[in-house]
Amino acid sequence: MVRLGMDAHWRGSMVVARALRDAGMEVIYGGNQMPMNIVRMAIQEDVDIIGLSSLSGNHMMLAPEVVKLLKKEKVHDIKVVFGGTVPPDDVPKLKKAGIVEVFGPGSSLRKIISCIESLKNN
Amino acid sequence: MGMKTEIFDKKRLKEIKTKTAEWEENSYSCQKKLKKKYETLSGFDVKPLYTPDDLAGFDYLRDLGFPGESPFIRGVHPTMYRGRTWTHRQLAGFGPPEETNKRYKFLLQQGASGINGVFDYPTLRGYSSDDPDVYADVGRGGVAIDTVDDMRILFDGIPIDQVSVSLVTCQPICNISMQSMYFANALDRGIPLDRLAGTSQNDFLMETATTIAPGVLPPQASFKVSCDAIEFCTKNAPRWNPISFAGYNYREAGCTAPQEVALVIAHAIACSEEMLKRGIEIDSFANRLSFFLSAHNDFFEEIAKYRAARRIYCSIMKKRFNARDPRSLMFRFHVQTAGVALTAQQPLNNVARAAYHALAAVLGGAQSVHVDAYDEALCTPTELSSVTALRTQQILQNETGVTNTIDPLGGSYFLESLTNRMETEICGILDEIDSLGGLVKAVENGWIHKEIAEAAYKYQWAIENGEMPIVGVNCFKIEDEVLPIELFSSPETLKVQKKKLQIIKKKRNAAEVARSLDAISRCCEKNGNLMELMVGAVKSHLTEGEISQALKRVYGVWDPPLF
Repeated sequence: MVRLGMDAHWRGSMVVARALRDAGMEVIYGGNQMPMNIVRMAIQEDVDIIGLSSLSGNHMMLAPEVVKLLKKEKVHDIKVVFGGTVPPDDVPKLKKAGIVEVFGPGSSLRKIISCIESLKNN
Repeated sequence: MGMKTEIFDKKRLKEIKTKTAEWEENSYSCQKKLKKKYETLSGFDVKPLYTPDDLAGFDYLRDLGFPGESPFIRGVHPTMYRGRTWTHRQLAGFGPPEETNKRYKFLLQQGASGINGVFDYPTLRGYSSDDPDVYADVGRGGVAIDTVDDMRILFDGIPIDQVSVSLVTCQPICNISMQSMYFANALDRGIPLDRLAGTSQNDFLMETATTIAPGVLPPQASFKVSCDAIEFCTKNAPRWNPISFAGYNYREAGCTAPQEVALVIAHAIACSEEMLKRGIEIDSFANRLSFFLSAHNDFFEEIAKYRAARRIYCSIMKKRFNARDPRSLMFRFHVQTAGVALTAQQPLNNVARAAYHALAAVLGGAQSVHVDAYDEALCTPTELSSVTALRTQQILQNETGVTNTIDPLGGSYFLESLTNRMETEICGILDEIDSLGGLVKAVENGWIHKEIAEAAYKYQWAIENGEMPIVGVNCFKIEDEVLPIELFSSPETLKVQKKKLQIIKKKRNAAEVARSLDAISRCCEKNGNLMELMVGAVKSHLTEGEISQALKRVYGVWDPPLF
């Protein structure tokens, strides 16, 4: 779980990270990171899923970049999900760019947990 | 404080107690069987009915008194909104300074009575727009300011000697640059610093506790830098509030109402102790300490919170610090309606939410208010949504009659009980922070982070489990909702700022820049007052990023503990 770029909001990422941990998953919280570092960390830690969080509006510039860099590194088994403040029009754009799931404001914790669990098992 | 000063007669109180018990047993009994739990947002039990019995021992003159007089619970000014209404201070800032300047002028034309300037994420964190790590965030969440030249553009044509200006420079590392640039620009315009009225946020908890970002200034250094600005303003800009303890942001990060107030007061205590250590007399700075609080969903709890804060603060400033000037005893505060309480679903519902929040702030005696725009959970406010927010304030002030009498809920059995309960809770947290060795220590050892995270987690599960109804989110939902509003799109900022920086870096005197940066590093090493130096230094067109790097080279960086 990382926050993208300079985003200052940590509440959402922290609450979700904790909920996933309490649901029995191992969560690594990376704080604020740029795409290059995120991919490096993900490979190093051998993660199943990267959770990106941002409420600052930087998602269209940074989230697709993470997917691109993963491809460049020939990593195909790490899935990327996104949570945060996203205008509805951006959701299909993010999905087209390879983000497998987008959780907007008001998303249910249980839904996030079950989605991550099913992504992990697929 | 003998029996005579209590307003309720002991014998009558006994009768009321008996009668209340009878009423509960007979008339209220059907409801009682339901066993539903009633509590405030922060978890205080709420009874079905409050009577004088809940205020046994209540002494009007001691516990409430009069507006403008100690303990200020009924308001800090003797005339409150009759004499002067609260300032309608709407937050604004986005894109390059040229664009935000237009929005400021627009809001002032529309009747806003103060400016509330918010900065973009890189600026808040001490980075310049040309830093390789910030390209995706330039101009987002606020205005991008890199040099004193941007500050000039931001306030161009705005009478800063007449309009009070709040700089939402959350983190001290940002404030030391931004406030210095603001002051340098004023001096350049021929306005002496003692004529500037305004506030800067300058809160070290914002840097070290509520944003959990790696590589920030260590708590002690961040706190020191913030106190430098307080000391500088005390000596040079006496009408400027050099700090605004940002309880609002602690609350947005997850705190409860009593935690929010306890943290701002603990912070004021820490600053006061530091100023006294620097040999500055309490009454010369305490009158300029200002507070920034949230207005969240629980209407009465929020009002009780503001009132309790005033009474506790007055007592602490009197007893702990021997302050004598009445203004040093006043808990003056700005309110922003809670952004975290707004929803992306059915966004127009947020107009109603923010209006209730603002009403609580005004019934609680706020000095200035920002009403959140209805599109807050989706984007930066559009012109329409920000005007609607301003109109919400104007309707409240001009149409509802709430300004006619002072502290209209004072004396309510319920509200006074809740205020007392809130006070007990806040004082308990303050004692705990004292026992940890004060606020800076409580940040260093991660206590604050843990407390905030815990409260945020609990809150989220309460929504998840339906214990806390949120209209449009966990009840009264619309499936496949079509967004009924237009969204804001950010103007191009990165290119604009980078180009200006390129030109400035070519034009400025490189030797002078090196000298200024060197002087800043030496000032840090010698533990001198940074702002005294900085107001002059920024004139050589140092960028904010260069200043931050100079600070970090000496102070090092800190990774806040995780939850």
